[in-house]
Amino acid sequence: MSEIIKPKRTIIPFGPQHPVLPEPIHIDLVMEDETVVDAIPSVGFIHRGLEKLVEKKDYNEMVYVAERICGICSFMHGMGYCEAVEHIMDVEIPDRAKYLRTIWCEFSRLHSHLLWLGLLADGFGFEALFNECWRIREKVLDMVELTTGGRLISSVNKVGGLIKDVTPEMLKAMKETVIQVEKELKPVANTFLNDYSVKSRLCGSGILTKEEAIALGACGPMMRASGIEVDLRKTGYAAYDNIDFDIITSNDCDGYARCAVRIGELFQSVEIVRQAIDKIPDSEEVSVKLKGNPKGEFLMRLEQPRGEAFYYVEANGTKFIDRFRVRTPTFANLAPLIHTLKGAPFADVPLLVLTIDPCISCTER
Amino acid sequence: MINTVNILRLIAVIVFIVCAPFIGGILDGFDRKISARMQRRIGPKVTQPFYDVLKLFNKEFVSVNKSQLFLLLSYLFFVIFAGALFFGGYDLLMVFLCTSTASIFLILAASSTHTAYTGVGTLRELVQMMCCEPMELLVAIGFYLSTSANKDFVTPTFKVIDLVRSDMPAIIYLPGFFIGFIFILTIKFRKSPFDISTSHHAHQEVVKGVTAEFSGAAYGIVEVAEWYEQVMLLGVVGLFFITSNPLSYIVAALAIILVYFLEIIIDNTSARVKWDLMFKLSWGIIFICGGTNLLVLEIIRNINI
Amino acid sequence: MENYGRNIVEIPLEKLVIVASEERDKGHRLAQACASYVNDKYELLYSFVDGYEMVTYKLIIDTDTEVPSISRICFPAFTYENEMKELFGVKIKGIVTDYNDKFYRIQTKTPFLKKGDK
Repeated sequence: MSEIIKPKRTIIPFGPQHPVLPEPIHIDLVMEDETVVDAIPSVGFIHRGLEKLVEKKDYNEMVYVAERICGICSFMHGMGYCEAVEHIMDVEIPDRAKYLRTIWCEFSRLHSHLLWLGLLADGFGFEALFNECWRIREKVLDMVELTTGGRLISSVNKVGGLIKDVTPEMLKAMKETVIQVEKELKPVANTFLNDYSVKSRLCGSGILTKEEAIALGACGPMMRASGIEVDLRKTGYAAYDNIDFDIITSNDCDGYARCAVRIGELFQSVEIVRQAIDKIPDSEEVSVKLKGNPKGEFLMRLEQPRGEAFYYVEANGTKFIDRFRVRTPTFANLAPLIHTLKGAPFADVPLLVLTIDPCISCTER
Repeated sequence: MINTVNILRLIAVIVFIVCAPFIGGILDGFDRKISARMQRRIGPKVTQPFYDVLKLFNKEFVSVNKSQLFLLLSYLFFVIFAGALFFGGYDLLMVFLCTSTASIFLILAASSTHTAYTGVGTLRELVQMMCCEPMELLVAIGFYLSTSANKDFVTPTFKVIDLVRSDMPAIIYLPGFFIGFIFILTIKFRKSPFDISTSHHAHQEVVKGVTAEFSGAAYGIVEVAEWYEQVMLLGVVGLFFITSNPLSYIVAALAIILVYFLEIIIDNTSARVKWDLMFKLSWGIIFICGGTNLLVLEIIRNINI
Repeated sequence: MENYGRNIVEIPLEKLVIVASEERDKGHRLAQACASYVNDKYELLYSFVDGYEMVTYKLIIDTDTEVPSISRICFPAFTYENEMKELFGVKIKGIVTDYNDKFYRIQTKTPFLKKGDK
């Protein structure tokens, strides 16, 4: 025979409405039998153009728009915007506010990662585990609601600090919650990391080596699971420079490594919240008065639960900002996603889409 | 020839045809309830599956291919026919061949629509058949060999009516076959580690796989057929325990309940595996459990002769 | 470390491709790229990251200038470039996967280009 017979190629449209996808993303999968040979993602079903609103909103009001970019990453979007403007205006916020921002950041990391673990469990058909993850997540959300007033969109940030302070009782309750969460998390983590059927799905799927991760611009847990030790919390925004923690990495480079890194980060978040509550200083003020309008530009980098997020603010000295730009982790992780999908079996597609922890509403500000 | 035995057989068949959907539905309801409790949810009512199916039958039937309905009705017919053969006490080998024929009709019905998701689903359904079929045939052969190893039987037989007259429960001769059969039941019931071609929830990559293109009444037919098949397969589980002693029927009922509960536990404690692992596991179990058991049976038979 | 956000270097258009290949060869990662429309000119930002250090290259160009794509040098640039092209109408040529303004499914063309009424 002169030429090799190739299997017929078919295109499977994956999404935007697919039961395993929590949000609308569409991927055209070019398949040979059950193997993906190429993947073309397209987003943009829910593009809202929130960045454009910055031209019409006062720079103080823009915090609330920034928070509404996404429900899960809400707190840190607001905070990223505030920190960027604070850098431009050269404002130093009170220490207590810094610590509180740290605590709430870690709370949002906890609930985001628990949400992700639940979705992953659902992705490989383990309903009991899914329910368990989301049950633990409820505790975290209840505590966010108790301390900020909102379950997801907390709206406590403002340029120059925070809108409200917490009481000592609230801090105590927060500490108790994280200890409880840690206790309940242990058996769940054990199942994710040691169960035979779970391991059969995650181990060896979606390999992204260290070199590829850099070349493709991966970020967050996706990058750390490929053995790159970068965690932007180490740059010391908020109160992270006073908190002692190690960066969690893995050298396995597969789906299991990404799961393990995120589980490690959950326990780490618990530890950070405990440290921050122990170290938080007492002071009356949680915000400073602002003078004038911002002028200048700044690129703020934050470690969102899903990875590194960028907040670029270009201000012109009026109360309206020229350009506000958010680059969300999912956007950066699209290129690594395409890479991991190529050559993967069809059964792995939902899991690989999930291992980048996609947040589509973030991506389509 | 009309005698009491034949009348009893006829009654058994009629009872199966009338009652199996209700038993299957109730079992399904308990399945959902117990699963929900295992996941610390409240769960739906036990009768919920009936409402679901009734609602399906009230929906408009939409299909791209008219032959789909005919193929699905053939599927339902062969499933009922297989069950009727089993409860009527006919040939066990015939029963399993009928269920295979039924699955072929399901696959034909699914692939009649030519869509991407059912395409993948039907390929996986074929793999599932490849995993189940050897064990089903082995079980039939196992029962045949158990009768030949058993001194009570003059001639070995495949007939269910003769198998239930044995003095010794077949499980004594066929423990390996029993384990293997329970293993493939997980595949047959489309429970969690092996729900790769279609599942009870749509949360998977092929959405609903084989059943993705069935709408309204067509999907209702599939549900009802699955209930019939479940009852028939659980009947086979019972057959391992039934002897001429009437008390053994209670033992069989208990065994059925235990097996069903075990399936629910497996469903709730495992992730969905990929087809290649399913293939390796099921053939491994078949060869180890079924093969060893077959060897031992042969030895016993030779000693008896 | 805190000053990475102000580390913005202005470069001429001709140097973009050279700078991008240099950064790639050093093993740095393209972290983000974006456009903005200030004073009737485009400002394109390309940020390269090495661990915690970051350098951002700024390109100021007229609205009708053609910009070469760097997606052949740094593959992940294609998403950012498609975004710039679609939201701002920046003329970028030679993107590896060019969505031709279908990256976001929006009705208005170049919605970020015209200034909102202040």
